[in-house]
Amino acid sequence: QDKIPVSGKITSKTDAQPIPGVTVLEKGTTNGTTTNEKGEYTLRVSPGATLLFSFIGMVSQEAALGNSSVLDMILEEDLKKLDEVVVTGYKAERKADLTGAVSVVKLSDIKDIPTADPIKNLQGRVAGMQVTTSGSPGATASVRIRGQGTLNNNDPLYVIDGIPTKEGLQSINQNDIESIQVLKDASAASIYGSRAGNGVIIVTTKRAKAGFSRIDFSSFWSFQRYQSKLRVLNTEQRARVYWQAAVNDGVTPSSPLYQFNSHLDAQGKPVLDGVSYPEFIDAAQTMRPANTRWFDEISQTGLMQSYNLNFSNGGEKGTMLFSLNYLDHDGIIKETNLNRLTLRLNSDYNFLQGKLKVGENLTFAKTRQTLLPEGEIMNMALIQQSIVPVRTLTGGWGGPVASMSDRQNPVRLIADNQQNKSYAGRIFGNVYADLEILPKLQLRTSIGVDYTLGSQRVLYKAYTSGFLSDPMNRATNTENFYGNWIWQNTLTYSLERNKHRLDFLAGTERIRYNNQSFWASRQGFALQTPEYMYLDAGSANKDNGGSAFGYGLMSFFGKVNYALADRYLASVTVRRDGSSRFGSDQRYGTFPAFSLGWRLSEENFLKDHVTAISDLKLRFGWGVTGNQDFANNAIYRLYESNYGIDPTWDFDIGTAYDITGANTGSLPSGYRLIQQGNDKLKWESTTQTNYGIDFSLFEYKLTGSVDYFVKKTKDILVSPPYLGVVGEGGNQWVNGASMENSGIELQLGYQGKIANKVNFNLSGNISSYQNKVTYLPREVVNSYGGNGRDVTILGRSINSIYGYVADGIFQTQEQVDSYATQIGKEVGRIRYKDLNGDGVVDDRDRTWIGNSNPKFMYGLNADFSFKGIDVVLFFQGLQRADVYNDNKLLTDFASLASGVNWGERTLDAWSPTNPTSTIPALTLTDKNNEQRRSSYFVEQGSYLKLRNVQVGYTIPATLLKRYRMQQARLYVQAQNVLTLRKKTGNSAYTGVDPETPNATYPIPAVYTLGLNLSF
Amino acid sequence: CQRALDVAPNAVIDGDALNTPENIEKLCTAAYAAIGNDHYTAPFTLWPYGNLRSGDAYKGGAGTADISAFHFYETFSYIRPDLSESDVIWYRLYVSISRANDALRRLNAMSEEAFPNKKVRQAEMRFLRGHSYFDLKILFKNIPYIDESVPTQEYGKISNVDLSNEESWNKIADDFRFGTENLPVAQPEKGRADQIAAKAYLAKVLLYQAYQQDVNHNVTGINQAKLTEVVTLTDAVITSGRYGLFDDFSKNFLYEYDNGTESIFAIQRSKNDGTPKGRLDWSSALSYPMNTEYGCCGFHQPSQNLVNAFKTDSQGLPLFDTFNQKDVKELSDFQQNTFDPRLDHTVAIPGHPYKYKPDFIYQASWARAPDIYGSYASMKETVAYDSPGFQKVPPFMGSAKNNILLRYADVLLWKAEALIELGRENEALPLINQIRQRAKRSTALLKDKTGKDISSYKLETYQPGVNCTWNRTFARQALRWERRLEFAMEGNRFFDLVRWGIAAEYLNAYFTQEKTKREYLKEARFTKNRDEYLPIPLNQINYTANLYQQNPGW
Repeated sequence: QDKIPVSGKITSKTDAQPIPGVTVLEKGTTNGTTTNEKGEYTLRVSPGATLLFSFIGMVSQEAALGNSSVLDMILEEDLKKLDEVVVTGYKAERKADLTGAVSVVKLSDIKDIPTADPIKNLQGRVAGMQVTTSGSPGATASVRIRGQGTLNNNDPLYVIDGIPTKEGLQSINQNDIESIQVLKDASAASIYGSRAGNGVIIVTTKRAKAGFSRIDFSSFWSFQRYQSKLRVLNTEQRARVYWQAAVNDGVTPSSPLYQFNSHLDAQGKPVLDGVSYPEFIDAAQTMRPANTRWFDEISQTGLMQSYNLNFSNGGEKGTMLFSLNYLDHDGIIKETNLNRLTLRLNSDYNFLQGKLKVGENLTFAKTRQTLLPEGEIMNMALIQQSIVPVRTLTGGWGGPVASMSDRQNPVRLIADNQQNKSYAGRIFGNVYADLEILPKLQLRTSIGVDYTLGSQRVLYKAYTSGFLSDPMNRATNTENFYGNWIWQNTLTYSLERNKHRLDFLAGTERIRYNNQSFWASRQGFALQTPEYMYLDAGSANKDNGGSAFGYGLMSFFGKVNYALADRYLASVTVRRDGSSRFGSDQRYGTFPAFSLGWRLSEENFLKDHVTAISDLKLRFGWGVTGNQDFANNAIYRLYESNYGIDPTWDFDIGTAYDITGANTGSLPSGYRLIQQGNDKLKWESTTQTNYGIDFSLFEYKLTGSVDYFVKKTKDILVSPPYLGVVGEGGNQWVNGASMENSGIELQLGYQGKIANKVNFNLSGNISSYQNKVTYLPREVVNSYGGNGRDVTILGRSINSIYGYVADGIFQTQEQVDSYATQIGKEVGRIRYKDLNGDGVVDDRDRTWIGNSNPKFMYGLNADFSFKGIDVVLFFQGLQRADVYNDNKLLTDFASLASGVNWGERTLDAWSPTNPTSTIPALTLTDKNNEQRRSSYFVEQGSYLKLRNVQVGYTIPATLLKRYRMQQARLYVQAQNVLTLRKKTGNSAYTGVDPETPNATYPIPAVYTLGLNLSF
Repeated sequence: CQRALDVAPNAVIDGDALNTPENIEKLCTAAYAAIGNDHYTAPFTLWPYGNLRSGDAYKGGAGTADISAFHFYETFSYIRPDLSESDVIWYRLYVSISRANDALRRLNAMSEEAFPNKKVRQAEMRFLRGHSYFDLKILFKNIPYIDESVPTQEYGKISNVDLSNEESWNKIADDFRFGTENLPVAQPEKGRADQIAAKAYLAKVLLYQAYQQDVNHNVTGINQAKLTEVVTLTDAVITSGRYGLFDDFSKNFLYEYDNGTESIFAIQRSKNDGTPKGRLDWSSALSYPMNTEYGCCGFHQPSQNLVNAFKTDSQGLPLFDTFNQKDVKELSDFQQNTFDPRLDHTVAIPGHPYKYKPDFIYQASWARAPDIYGSYASMKETVAYDSPGFQKVPPFMGSAKNNILLRYADVLLWKAEALIELGRENEALPLINQIRQRAKRSTALLKDKTGKDISSYKLETYQPGVNCTWNRTFARQALRWERRLEFAMEGNRFFDLVRWGIAAEYLNAYFTQEKTKREYLKEARFTKNRDEYLPIPLNQINYTANLYQQNPGW
């Protein structure tokens, strides 16, 4: 029988685009091929053959050839996704077989959202995962999976291409990411036992696909703008507030900054007629009174831009992917910048007829970041008085004058620090070999590295800015090298007999982390240029320092998965971990886990009778995970030699002393106790139970899952505050606290079609958890609120806020007189509740006044596609989280910080003529102790944000052909353009953005234009 | 595999490795360092506690809210047991004590063969411990006393009222007494405590202890035996010949004369010493004026009452009763009245040279909040901007000038005080006059550019029968006045007032007058039987689950 040629083209039903890489097989033979990048194939087959077409994520099709020599095929997306593979622990599993709580991130939703840190894009995308971040270029995000589980490091473990790290994703190029999975419960995560207590985020990077080569180019430009600025007083308003505060205090308003023109009205009450200002505010006559808007002076429109090139080539003997990304981000505070270059090489090669595979996943990232004191700049913009000009008449820096606080000009802080940069080079990845010893028996060994070389040079310039000045300049270089190597070995075997499927995994892992750093500085530079100020040029005060630390981990683990008839699933994991951080007898901890699954939908009673149910699975998991992420040397009682520190803002702790009375020169120095040892320290452990349901309904149109979990952490490592008489070095780590989190998570998705033309996907998630502290040792029980006697935080969330209850404002003298003893009470002052009714407001009248954990949080994504147009909307929010708004200390009071600027809210302060105001009367002295922790500062942090709106257009393939392009897509986006929050009422949020309270770098509104091209 | 987990800590040392003579020496050095590890928020010169509460000084700074706890100390009305500033000074003093106890524990275990200096260092460590306990005692009165024999885990069982007032004074005295027996008369290194310093400090402790207080701080009697011992001890200091008065008062306040003849024991400060900013005088970092040469922070301002107190009568004696009837304020006032020369050593006055520099005239505009606190500044603790001891530590000012803790002049006046209370006031007269004599001749640096005296000075010694009647009452008044002027702004005054049992009457009288000049004082009021001491920090009471007892009245 002669073979006959057949050819054809495979396209996708969804978008009519050609599909490269589709396997085409002559049924019953091994004769086959794959489609090229145009989705075309040619094959020689026997006449009358039947062809099988298969592709991951698509429903496989077969068709008889008949008489034709052309056989085109349209493949449809496989909504069941039964074959979808999820990387869990050291290996991949079919999603259908999963029994743990695993969330798979839909990458298509986030891949185009501009960011330097891909984890930020997961905000609101995964039920039970809270991501908080700021707008600073290069700021890392804080990630909490299923709440705060420990009093130590709560960051999850990241496993990138199999290599665990706690470093986060900030040096990973988002374009390189193939998939992200979040392992939330212990049964899923415990295979990573040692560090999985806070959950695991698994990231797999892209590899080239066998059979085709491709070049992708993508780019975006994002403009970032301040959403809204905190409103502070202008020069005249501050003068008026100051005047009123003094008048309220019964003292004569007088200030070198203002001349007040006032008279007494008929009732003898002072009335301010006008304010005039001295010609100069400083004695040297260089600063005229100004009306500076400091927030405007420090901010700008930011720009983030990214250019990405990705080359991939797949052949029979191996595949290679190389990518290059350049990202530059100018923030909305002037001179803040992150600049990053990322390279990636992922390749693999087959030897011994495919039995041995050797490959690597390596990334190199070089980052440069300006080192600005962002928090201080934000804070100074809030409190520097507007009467201070940015510059003096002679071109020097404006700054505080007599009667003001010793606070810096934020514009100078930007200008004098802009040359200070940190540089880091990080190499991350592994090389591995995968050997098939026998069929189904695989041995894999991998050597991973994660090393960063960091370097920074900080120049401190001499300056004069008002009465603040420093004649000394200084250059400080800091170098550090840190990271770990990691050696992993795993052996896997799978067995399939009749209805039984068994997978075995056994492995070892060893990690050694080291961190070494040193710094050197000199003073006395003749010139203050960045070109000149290298250490050699300094003439005075050579100083230096250095330190090191490290830890080691050693682990053994095993896992068995069992499936019976695709219906009954079970998985058992055991991991034994050792950490150098624990006492010699306590170094190893054992972390077992198991999980069970039942695919009800495979049972006949459902399969045949309830057609609405496409898939239904019940899951149960139980397991223990560990945490050792705390101080490296806590088991030892240690002394240090501390020659001296910079005591400008803190107590000196030095051990050197001028015992000879020489007043200068090298000093004899001693030792100080820095901590008590504890050789009994052992692993913190978290036991988690998870109940889950996965379901798909109506022909897989509606899918979802519900999880309920209880997570109990015990032996939490704490270093309690200690009794004052112990003196120095009284701190000691102990296995102290226990905590419990429980919660529920719901994830839902719906895919549908409108008028058979517009495809749409809706997906949403909502989650809620409750945290409570269940045990604390006596020494620690006071550290998180409570009165230290009968009221403790036990049974409450660790993020509870404890304080006085502000009960409005005293309106009349009768109210004041008849009220309980409250030191400093007066008309117009805050009344604090006498909770115990003993007639005295004192520290026994404090209670629980808030909880900064959200009651629930949610995300909602909607995307629509019609022909080449796609539209995405994404909302994210959280509800009922309390924010302790420290900014209110400055925005609401003239008495808590004197000599600085205050907020516009002080204009609305209580007075006999403004009796409904909730802001206490103006005063210059905080006699009533209104800065005390009280409900006055507790505000509603709930918000709902329109995080992302995107419109994209994919240019039809027919148009692209002539440019030899495979794909071209353009999109525009807007982020954070709409925020809903509580603006009225008692607990209204009075700051700018409840998501980033206080002096955090604000989250900007972002407008993006992007482009993706494939060749 | 076990080795994989052996990761030794870096750059730190195990406590047992320190039990060598060399390292114990170093631990002793660290204990000395601790008495200089203070901060402007809890200065070991005690100015916020000793001067702001005495009517000698205003808090100063940008306004009453600038370190508001210090404002509350000054006005007494709003002091609370949970003021963190009180907790901080409490803790910092115990840090110093913990270093001394640590060194003592190791010293005790050493043989004298291995460590020939054992006794001397033991005595020095006990001296340092006694010093910190003394400060705690005068601040808080009822304090837990812990020495090196107590294991750390037992600390929490020791209450602040386990010892009676008398017993805890005895403990403090014992530490110095050990020094009087074991320290050499002179030490090779100036920073160390010597036998004379121990005697002087013991005299100070016994003098405080002599004024017996009941539980409510009322002075119920003066212990004559203790006073006699004070006389013996101060005599020993005086006759040792090791220390004396500087010829000029100014030298106590100039960097160049650090560790001079009048300085019996001082906190050693240094700069360009290899530490990042120098081991500077952080106690005084806030006291500098707001001009371009300095720039911050205008705290610790002399009160008008204090300035008035420097006025003298036509005979050169204090105006005990009438000094405060009229304020000296204008530049001309300082010519038209006569003054004790110590005024211009102590107080920076607009129009007068600052820190003995005739061409560096203190301006009213150098004050930070003149509308609240007036325009005076304190000078004893500061140094000139061109002094080799000066160093900016932006935004603050620092210097390497020592803080004298035991000044020879103090010893003379302790002796005089003891003699007066023993009824031997005639023997006290020459001592007081010795102080006045020195003050009288200390005008060499108080000249303007033309060489003229800055103010009009007139100061005389007490000459019974000529310009006064020297009886016990008068002598007591003269002694107390002398202490005020000699040690003004040096951190002692309030503790003197409490020792004498006159704090309530004195301060409430002061507030009545001073609040007419300084409106911010209008709510100031001293509550007798409470405000003599700070409340025990609430934090500490809570940690011990009420094992510690709060001081009366709080």
